[in-house]
Amino acid sequence: MHSLLIETVTKRYGTTLALDDVSFVVDPGEFVALLGPSGAGKSTLFRCVTRLVAPDTGVVRVLGRDMSALGGQELRLARRDVGLIFQQFNLIGRLSAMDNVLAGRMGHASTLRVVLRQFTRADRQLALAALDRVGLLERAGQRADSLSGGQQQRVAIARVLAQQARLLLADEPVSSLDPQSAENVLGILRNIARETGIAVVCALHQVDLARRYADRVVALRGGRKLLDVSVNAFDQNAFQELYGAHPG
Amino acid sequence: MAILLLGFLALCIRLAQVDPEALINGLPRLLNWAAKAWPPLLIDLDAFALRGLETVAIATVGTVVATLLAFPLSVFIARNVTPSPALSLPVRWAVNAFRGIDTVVFALLFVAAVGLGPFAGVLGMIVHSMGVIAKLNAEAIETLPSAPLEAAALSGANRTKIVTYAMLPAVLPNLASVSLYVWEANVRTSTILGIVGAGGIGIEIKAAIDLLDFPKLFTLSVIVLIMVTAIDQFSAWLRRRLV
Repeated sequence: MHSLLIETVTKRYGTTLALDDVSFVVDPGEFVALLGPSGAGKSTLFRCVTRLVAPDTGVVRVLGRDMSALGGQELRLARRDVGLIFQQFNLIGRLSAMDNVLAGRMGHASTLRVVLRQFTRADRQLALAALDRVGLLERAGQRADSLSGGQQQRVAIARVLAQQARLLLADEPVSSLDPQSAENVLGILRNIARETGIAVVCALHQVDLARRYADRVVALRGGRKLLDVSVNAFDQNAFQELYGAHPG
Repeated sequence: MAILLLGFLALCIRLAQVDPEALINGLPRLLNWAAKAWPPLLIDLDAFALRGLETVAIATVGTVVATLLAFPLSVFIARNVTPSPALSLPVRWAVNAFRGIDTVVFALLFVAAVGLGPFAGVLGMIVHSMGVIAKLNAEAIETLPSAPLEAAALSGANRTKIVTYAMLPAVLPNLASVSLYVWEANVRTSTILGIVGAGGIGIEIKAAIDLLDFPKLFTLSVIVLIMVTAIDQFSAWLRRRLV
């Protein structure tokens, strides 16, 4: 079963064609870089996968489930399998790193436990292991808004690990980080894909980072899929076609 | 436009029956009373202090209960987290009604319903403050950044979980600040509740005025001033520590 299957997906906003007949699949353990200039349709694609919007035509399947067919409780359960990493981290600033990682357990724990902040021992151990996985165990008690950008993004990764997501969608996860932190974050994401079999789809701007960390590159331009190649086949010409310019 | 505003102001002066002559005639009387207020009354200080504490107690109980009742209301009417946009509209109207009618009016109603005394004041204060706090809380909730809340929703959390785990910690300092601010205002309001028979130091103030007992009025005024200033300072200090 594919972790993610996108089949002939089209999405139109008014007269703008945001996605135009896009198809590709992502398998467990794969790290796919989603490349393309701003407005290429990367965000719309992510919004279709999380069912924030429904595609006009085509099918989105996450772990075999047709996301368009789900609603209410079923949709909530399906969304637990999809972990999101954002450019701006989207942590709860006043909570500790640990509490932010535990937020990843919100979809699994009972409402009463979440309201009372009484997570089970198993949930807490899962959260601690996730923090350890991203190298921030010793920061567990620190307030999220006192961490550096790179550390906050690592907490966000720990959060989706605690969520036990099987597909990670990372939307420009390193765009607001310094180069060193960017490498660190992408390295963690790649290792997670390789070691745990979680599929990672990572929207990126930086072509050289995609080349060094991804297994495969899917490139969008103007809503259309331009490329779907293994990273070794992604060469200079492909870049030129994508951005219509030579790399700087 | 300027002429319209001036016309409106003139109308208001007329409706308010502004009469400088009456003030000039009354001024000597006021000064005479002020002179009679010295020396202030220094007996019964313990009884006055008790009334002062009663005043603070009304404000404190009223604000605490109003805060607890206002929280679910504020979640219900805040546009970004409301469970029902359709139902939030009538709730919003109700909140505005509670807020629009003053504590003293509600207190008068409760004096009629439950009898004279501070409890009527507490009940009146709860109803009005609940409206004020719910409205201000809802505004604080609406200014929260939406992304972390959406992130929680997309991880599969239901609304109750999102509100308590992701929203509440982010907005808590604002909510506490709102309630402290309302508490300060309520201490000032509860000094006059006694005038309508709803408990507190206002009862003594009304008695002093009715009997033209100016030394007593002077003492009571000083007690009110000290009390209100102390509460304001304490509350401001607490609010500074919240951020």
